[in-house]
Amino acid sequence: MLNIEILIAQIVNGLSLGSIYVLLVTGFNLLLLVAMIIHFSFPVIIVFSIYMSWIVMNLTGSLALGILAAVASAILVNMVSAPIFQHIMRKRGSVDINATMVISMGMGMLITEWTSHAINNGFPISFETEAVDPHGWLRATRAPFIRAGLVSISYSQVLTLLTGIILVAALFWVLYKTKAGRAFRAIAENPDGARLVGIPLLKTGVQSYILTGILGGLTAALMALLLGQASPDLGDQLGHKVLGISIIAGLGNLGGGLVIALLLGIVEAIVQGVFSGGSWSNTVAFLLMLVIVLAKPRGVFGIKL
Amino acid sequence: MEQKDDIILQVRDLSVSYGHIKALREVNLEVRKGEIVVLVGSNGAGKTSIMETILGVNTPDAGQVTFEGRDITKNPVDKNVRGGMTLVPEGRGVFATMSVLDNLLLGAHHELKTAGKKLNFVFESFPVLGVRKNQLAGTLSGGERQMLAIARALMSTPRMIMVDEPSIGLAPIVVNSIFDILVNLNKEGYSILLSEQNVYKALKCAHRGYVLETGRVIKEGRAEDLLNDPAIREAYLGA
Repeated sequence: MLNIEILIAQIVNGLSLGSIYVLLVTGFNLLLLVAMIIHFSFPVIIVFSIYMSWIVMNLTGSLALGILAAVASAILVNMVSAPIFQHIMRKRGSVDINATMVISMGMGMLITEWTSHAINNGFPISFETEAVDPHGWLRATRAPFIRAGLVSISYSQVLTLLTGIILVAALFWVLYKTKAGRAFRAIAENPDGARLVGIPLLKTGVQSYILTGILGGLTAALMALLLGQASPDLGDQLGHKVLGISIIAGLGNLGGGLVIALLLGIVEAIVQGVFSGGSWSNTVAFLLMLVIVLAKPRGVFGIKL
Repeated sequence: MEQKDDIILQVRDLSVSYGHIKALREVNLEVRKGEIVVLVGSNGAGKTSIMETILGVNTPDAGQVTFEGRDITKNPVDKNVRGGMTLVPEGRGVFATMSVLDNLLLGAHHELKTAGKKLNFVFESFPVLGVRKNQLAGTLSGGERQMLAIARALMSTPRMIMVDEPSIGLAPIVVNSIFDILVNLNKEGYSILLSEQNVYKALKCAHRGYVLETGRVIKEGRAEDLLNDPAIREAYLGA
């Protein structure tokens, strides 16, 4: 049964999961608004980064190099894919984001196929083995930070939540307080108007790829910390969820995405607490999304495109 | 004859098309330093096309644009803005979901280091913008938005300002104050290329004008001569 302690524990758990969703959704929305691509495989790139980080940590046993590998590979994949997306858009003459969806889908499939064939024979990878984590730091974060009766909150959950909050704050600081962020928001509101004012669309678009790359890499590191493992199909699951969150919040709505992402994290965690036997959280999450989309087709907070 | 180095903007044989539609046909025009030059013509005559092509939005089929002696025909917009020209677009083009301050800073995007000084200058010239700097631009009145659009243009330290249809959608009394602002800016040394459907007012404050019809320049001359031209009076002034 659900009592108040379990509820609090699940809310903390949900917020740490939710902060990861916030980072994923904001990255997705930024690419949609600034680079004008529907990149629903953005979470797959992040799972790819988790895998790269795992490979590096397996070889070196170094946590720092693992985080570096995650960030570097997310930026790299973004920068390699940027010219492809830009080329498609230029060929079409005007901004037509439908074609970008196909590219994104293809990238996602390639990465998922690669991880499910080439890495660890397609079995889920774990960050808690001796080879990956020789000092036992990651395993140590599994220990309870607070324990009350049957309920416990682990260090990894608390760490994820704190880092997540800092990252989300830093991200929104970049968006609302820096030169690049101002240009992002201008392009998001009116790309033609931004161009007339003299905002370089191409350069700003590339900056959005770099920012979402950094963001993606750090999110990958956080997910490795929170989940302790990853499997090839994780990217697709997250891709569906991120697209869902973005749509029910209102496509391109940065603030709305933040709220819905946190709420979804909490709902999922609470469902997990109630039906502790099996994982019904995805089912409930997608049922909720279905209901909300039927009631509010333009999203709870409205489309900002 | 004027000296050649008096000319800040020179447009030669400029032709532009959008797909199969010819928007501009061999347009020739020039703006001299310290001038207000007005483009007169009905909707679709090509006024906006000329300005946007000068700025670098469209790639011309043929012709050349020279600004301060440099060929800028193939330059992208942001390079031209850095180079000293700016456009106040039709319909103002302010970013409604962003603050007045953010809108102004967007104008100085390429040189934010000196933005503070320019902000002071702009807030002195347009005190109402200073009062509302933290308000969203979407909450401003039409006249205030036009002021914001002009102020944003000034933030890029231009030497030539192009202003596309500033009076559209504004009350007559507000139109007067917008024209006063443009004339004052011109007195401070800014060269201005203006497009306007309010032909009488525009010619009254301009030095010279070009009359456009379906993408061609059909007449040009000193503003007062154009004002007294019977054909123009009949076509645009209803007299």
